[in-house]
Amino acid sequence: MLRYAALKTGRALFVVWAAFTLTFALLFVLPADPVSLLFDPAEINTIPPEVREQVAANYGFDQPVLVQYLSRLGHALTGDFGHSVQSGKPVTEAVLAVLPSTLALAAGALVLALIIAFAIALIASSTRHRWVKELIESLPSASVSVPVFLSGILILQIFSFRLGWFPAFGDDGPSSLVLPIVTLAIPVSGPIAELLVRNFAIELRSGYVTTSWAKGATRAQVITGDVSRNASLPALTIAGITFGNLIAGSVITETVFAREGVGRMTQTAINTLDVPLVQGIVVFVAASFALINLIVDLIYPLLDPRLRAVLAAPAVRTA
Amino acid sequence: MSDLRSSIESAEASRRRKWPWAAAAAAVVVIVAGTVLAVSQRDSGADPAASDDPVSGGTLEFALIDYQRSPDPQWGTNYAESLVGNNITDKLTWQDPDTGEITPWLAESWEYNDDLTEFTFHLRHDVTFSDGTPFNAEVVKANFDQYVHGDPALDINANGAALLPGYIETQALDEYTAVVRFEKPLASFLQATSFTANAQPGFLSLSTLALNAEERTDATKIIGTGPFVYESWEEQVKTVVVKRDGYNWSPPAIGHDGEAYLDKIVFNSIPEASVRTGSLVSGTIDATLDVGTTDEAPLTEQGFDIISRGVSGTAIFFNFNSQLFPTNDIAVRKAIQLGWDREAVEQTVLTDSYSIATSVLAPSVQGYVDHSDSLRYDPDEAARLLDEAGWVPGDDGIRVKDGKRLELKLLGINNLVVNKPAYESIHEDLQDIGIDLQLTVVPIPDYTANVANAATDWNIVAANRSRNDPAVLNLHYSPALGNASFVTGDSPGIDVDEVTEVLGQLETTLDPTERAAYAAAAQDLLIEKYALVNPIYNPSQVIAQASYVHGIIFDAQSRNHFVDAWKGTGT
Repeated sequence: MLRYAALKTGRALFVVWAAFTLTFALLFVLPADPVSLLFDPAEINTIPPEVREQVAANYGFDQPVLVQYLSRLGHALTGDFGHSVQSGKPVTEAVLAVLPSTLALAAGALVLALIIAFAIALIASSTRHRWVKELIESLPSASVSVPVFLSGILILQIFSFRLGWFPAFGDDGPSSLVLPIVTLAIPVSGPIAELLVRNFAIELRSGYVTTSWAKGATRAQVITGDVSRNASLPALTIAGITFGNLIAGSVITETVFAREGVGRMTQTAINTLDVPLVQGIVVFVAASFALINLIVDLIYPLLDPRLRAVLAAPAVRTA
Repeated sequence: MSDLRSSIESAEASRRRKWPWAAAAAAVVVIVAGTVLAVSQRDSGADPAASDDPVSGGTLEFALIDYQRSPDPQWGTNYAESLVGNNITDKLTWQDPDTGEITPWLAESWEYNDDLTEFTFHLRHDVTFSDGTPFNAEVVKANFDQYVHGDPALDINANGAALLPGYIETQALDEYTAVVRFEKPLASFLQATSFTANAQPGFLSLSTLALNAEERTDATKIIGTGPFVYESWEEQVKTVVVKRDGYNWSPPAIGHDGEAYLDKIVFNSIPEASVRTGSLVSGTIDATLDVGTTDEAPLTEQGFDIISRGVSGTAIFFNFNSQLFPTNDIAVRKAIQLGWDREAVEQTVLTDSYSIATSVLAPSVQGYVDHSDSLRYDPDEAARLLDEAGWVPGDDGIRVKDGKRLELKLLGINNLVVNKPAYESIHEDLQDIGIDLQLTVVPIPDYTANVANAATDWNIVAANRSRNDPAVLNLHYSPALGNASFVTGDSPGIDVDEVTEVLGQLETTLDPTERAAYAAAAQDLLIEKYALVNPIYNPSQVIAQASYVHGIIFDAQSRNHFVDAWKGTGT
């Protein structure tokens, strides 16, 4: 068990380090010179060379690549990702400042997505009418097919501009969160719902369910008592995909709804090739991703007795 | 076993599955209905005629695409940063947006020596910063020194080095007299003191200048002399400014007395175009910048006002690379000038807020001369020029000379929505006369990456340069400075010294008649004699505002000042 935990932790750390190194390499392999991007493109030819050198020295762009890499890595280990080239703020501070807004959005969207997904799975598996089942089962595909910006703008037009129920932009309290959460929950709920529907169907055909029927359980008791618990466990395995969907969706949702957040900051940082900020965000996202997967890996044995037994059993030698 | 139960439950004869199709049809109907409902026009009641008297008080909700990445106005290079900076700080002079003339502001009067290397400013005595400290010659000196040299210890960049090349120092002769000295003649310095666009020379208090870059991210510590003061700055979301009590020094040319009318302005950053216009229509926003060309007509029909001003500086242009084949052939350059249908672009791509360029300078710049005779659509003449120069139509319709095709590579920016469709229209027209124009229209970072190799890789660079002074032609095209057409010894048929001299004259005098003559000579050289540039259209800044909003000023660089803005009844 300890070996299992150590292995998973090591893998998580490797992923974070690899993300850091890859972004560093990519950003320096790109054709754009980060220093040039600090100046108005029309005026670049008139910038005196001393000014460019001074700016480059300010950000450490003038040193050899390997030195830059090691120095950045060293600082990163202490949590210092340098200063954003475009705003001058320390990267860690910039990310932490907008993080709560994204967390609120992501958490809300995740909860709503889970509710939607369970609702879809429950209705699909408990209904006796085939047409209802097939209609509900087509919803997950529809939810991932509609582009986030389209659904966001439609929702805005109807519920904010026409009906005036919710604000269209900014962050003035809970009512500003409703529309973005709904928009983001739609694509996130798709894969989860799909998985749950499949698993519910499979579990309903298994042996222990037949036993329950035989003992006289109603349909509701079977579904809530037996099937739900076992069918939902695999949903944890796609926690990584879900997280990825949340991050990708948040970039667009935050832009459409003019909210501050990590997603929107990523988009502007990439557009302006703000090297330290992009690196900070990528490492942050990679670290979160690795952490979530790590937690899932560590929790799984606790929830699934079968895996616990496998890990606890002494290693069997194959002769 | 459970399968048996399931199969009993669903023991209907399996039919051809119609329900997924019905579900899909229902979903389509819902989406279409939703879209129609969403985009259908809403009747807005006509606003009652408002009185003409300014009303004090109120909050103006303003929207734009960009957001301020830092509250420091001397650093800020994007539109939001220069917009807010203009309302927090003041400049030495004010350039009249209609005539281009430099008029007094914080400086009441000024003189300069004949060499244009020393400028003496006599400052107003009654100006104070919002923290009560006085504005005087020492403040001017401290500002310009930091603005031009930067301050590495404070992480401050040399934000103004490009605007004030050759700056030596500022001397404070007495409390209200400042002398700025340069190494070489800089006629454009006078206009530079009024500059309100990127990295503008707005004056900050001495306490602000002492702060480092990180400390300057606290907006309440940025102290200026302007009609408004920072209240808060939420990055990516909004900037809030409030009225400065006791403000009494707006530019005399504006004719506004005392403080601003508005109590508060909220600059909201809204990246999505439909959300900006939707918020305006629903009344959440009072006015918005960054209005798309397709939104202008619908908004006007709904009772909103569209106000705009052309950007002053150069037009959006095609700069020809004079040392790279085939743009090193003057016949090709002239053919391109004559080879595209200006009316087509005007009618299909532009709106009334924009105009086709008739010179490399925008009409609002002093010294502008109308060159629409040379910049006209004449495909026959273009074809004739190419024939004479030996460009023979090839098999695919594209002309060939000495075995090489007449193909050109163009690099442009897609930041302005009008650019790509305009360039594509030109591409079509040029193809008809046998020129293959290959377009690469990309976002700013990719453009910047590619423009570094412009001398060797690109025949045409499409951009513009915003600066309301004819000397912008020198800054941009002089072989000694920007050299945007890469005029060197390798450029056939071009006298490099002549170009440097004709353009350089613009910096040597402030006498209006001489300046006008030099500007005319510069435009002739660039457009007629050497055909180094093909101007396309004049870009504009466009605002859509509710009918109860009044008094938003467009300055000479088309930035907005709100000191005279007010909201009438009917809010």
